[in-house]
Amino acid sequence: MLDQSKKDKITSDLLGSIRLNYSFMIWMAFLVTSFSICIYAYITQLQNGLAVTGLGDYVSWGIYIANFVFFVATSLIGMLISAVLGLSGAKWAAPLARIAEIIALAFAAVAGLVIVSDMGRPERLIYVFIHARIQSPILWDVTVVTMYVLISALLLYLPLIPDLKICHDKLVKIPNYLRNFYKILSLNWNGSLEQEKIILQSTRILAILIVPVALAIHTVTSWLFASTTRVGWDSTIFGPYFVTGAFVSGCAAVIIAMFFYRNNYKLKDYITEKHFDKMGKLLVLVSLVYLYFNLNEFMVPGYKMKKGDAVHIHDLFAGSHALLFWSVQIFGLVIPILLLLFKKMRKPLPMLVIALFVLFGAWFKRYIIVVPTMEHPFLPIQNVPLNFRIYTPTLTESLITLAPIILVLIIITILSKLFPIIPVQETIDHLEESN
Amino acid sequence: MISTNKIYTTIVIAVFTVLLSFQSYSQNWDIPANKSSKNSYIPFNNETAKAGEAIYTKNCQSCHGNPGKANSLKTLKPVPPDLSEKQTQSRTDGDLFYIITTGRVVMPSFKIVLSEEERWKVIAFIRSYNKSYVQVLSKTDPSKSKLVKIVLDFNAKNNKIRVYAKANEASGVVLLKDAEIMLFANRYFGKLQIDKTLTTNSEGYADFNFPKDLPGDKTGNIDIVVNVNDELYGEIEHQEKLNIGIPTDKPALNEQRAIWNTLLKAPIWIIVTYTSLILLVTLVLLYILNTLRKLKKIGDK
Repeated sequence: MLDQSKKDKITSDLLGSIRLNYSFMIWMAFLVTSFSICIYAYITQLQNGLAVTGLGDYVSWGIYIANFVFFVATSLIGMLISAVLGLSGAKWAAPLARIAEIIALAFAAVAGLVIVSDMGRPERLIYVFIHARIQSPILWDVTVVTMYVLISALLLYLPLIPDLKICHDKLVKIPNYLRNFYKILSLNWNGSLEQEKIILQSTRILAILIVPVALAIHTVTSWLFASTTRVGWDSTIFGPYFVTGAFVSGCAAVIIAMFFYRNNYKLKDYITEKHFDKMGKLLVLVSLVYLYFNLNEFMVPGYKMKKGDAVHIHDLFAGSHALLFWSVQIFGLVIPILLLLFKKMRKPLPMLVIALFVLFGAWFKRYIIVVPTMEHPFLPIQNVPLNFRIYTPTLTESLITLAPIILVLIIITILSKLFPIIPVQETIDHLEESN
Repeated sequence: MISTNKIYTTIVIAVFTVLLSFQSYSQNWDIPANKSSKNSYIPFNNETAKAGEAIYTKNCQSCHGNPGKANSLKTLKPVPPDLSEKQTQSRTDGDLFYIITTGRVVMPSFKIVLSEEERWKVIAFIRSYNKSYVQVLSKTDPSKSKLVKIVLDFNAKNNKIRVYAKANEASGVVLLKDAEIMLFANRYFGKLQIDKTLTTNSEGYADFNFPKDLPGDKTGNIDIVVNVNDELYGEIEHQEKLNIGIPTDKPALNEQRAIWNTLLKAPIWIIVTYTSLILLVTLVLLYILNTLRKLKKIGDK
């Protein structure tokens, strides 16, 4: 048995972050201010329509859609860490499950809004449902993303219930309404075996359910592209290609979050170098799989060089998108893999830098997937101004693209201020087991 | 020797091709005199110019731009002129009508796309940019077109349609001679012209060769459209259904359940898969919510 003082130390360490301090307020003020600026940009889009963007007849999917794919991708990490690693009994990942789940929930919930920002007439959103066609991957996407948000929310909430009770009991200095909030959410938790069994079983069911749903959300997102005949999208491996790409960006997001929580929330004893080491290895694994899919994705059409594909591949490899393409592949994938093979690089700070490269690379990779294809339609583009042919995002468009990213940061910040970011009860239980 | 000849021939052909292409780009339209002197029976005023503007915006603006703004499509060869310029305005109404009707090189023909009345309205719009223009109206009386009766007679032996054009004047029946006459069959995406544009003979009729293999509807019916254009009686259109096509019964692509069809005609397998997956997830989520209710109940005790 763990002695009481040790338990108290763990509890106070992990609940330490739940308080209002200056750094939190400055950070939130910064986020809210920048968010307001982006909202202003969105208001100009509402007034003037998509004319304020660089989108046109030919490139009608630009950075909004690239952003959407990135969001859905990053949210997939919740499934990998809390479900796949959890079910396979990888105990080291347990302290990271909540971080992953918060990232998953925030990104998946905001992904829907990203799509709305791509609509020139968002008041017609309801038509998507009124005139829904069950045959359309767009409807499937809406359906599975909604499911994933619901399951992720439950998967975040269920293991949180014991901790909510601890929050209510131990955090005596916080305002009463907040304590009541914890009390209501903790559903009369008393730590009985019966209750523990319910949580354990339900979490297990959800963890199993989320695996196919998570695979579905990103496979269906890939089908939005792959179910067309367009060059660069007309691929049978787009589903797995997207899913593995998603794990890459998700792992990077979790590593970045781990670094900040570890330093700012003083959790060095709980998020240890061992966790970084393991996450580094995981990132190498998923990146290698992704690299393999990349090879397939370009090698096969590149070998055959069908007319349409040839234009597209030339443009990516040596044309106007070459700089971005090779930067993404080399700095966002190949070099991170090589560096992370060394144990010295799997330390918190180097991993933060590498993860930032991977995450930025992942975002631009989505751009490389969406935009060049739109610039290469099968019918020749004739007699149009240059800005119809070559897509350049406008400032307004870029600000509107930033908005959901800031919103995700706000959601993650609030959630990790309200709830202990490392499971308290679980950490104590694990220690007791190992003793 | 042969090779020298070949090279020589090639050069000659090449030179001629270049010359010919220049020829076709020249401003010379070679408009027949009787076409050039043709006048509109529609008065050019604000009302017709406005109607013409709508037609212009839809059919002409993409290449010619807005008159007076010099924003025509410069990438075309020859460059479409700005229609408010002297080059266009110095032509007769008949010239403009002929150019719009026949077209040449990059200028398409609007003979079938626009009716005669619509073409004159476009000219009314173009003329509205010329302050010094004075219209000469044609002696054609458009109200007289109502008097004209068109009769179709199909001869199954030689597969010809004879089209008679007669006017029932108060003084008796007048045969329309030398009237321009076109025959069309209605298809899915517009009218298909049958045979050439003919003129009626001295007995007021023209014979059109009708193809033997034109598909009709299930019973072989084809909608025939006749367009007659007479100096005196103006433009007359006549429609008639004739049972002269090949009976064709092809079910439309949207009749059966298919991926591309509406929601109500979605393939069964998609409906079953989609709804059962939603049902499954919903049931699991409801089950989980129920266990949470139980959890709370246990705590209540």
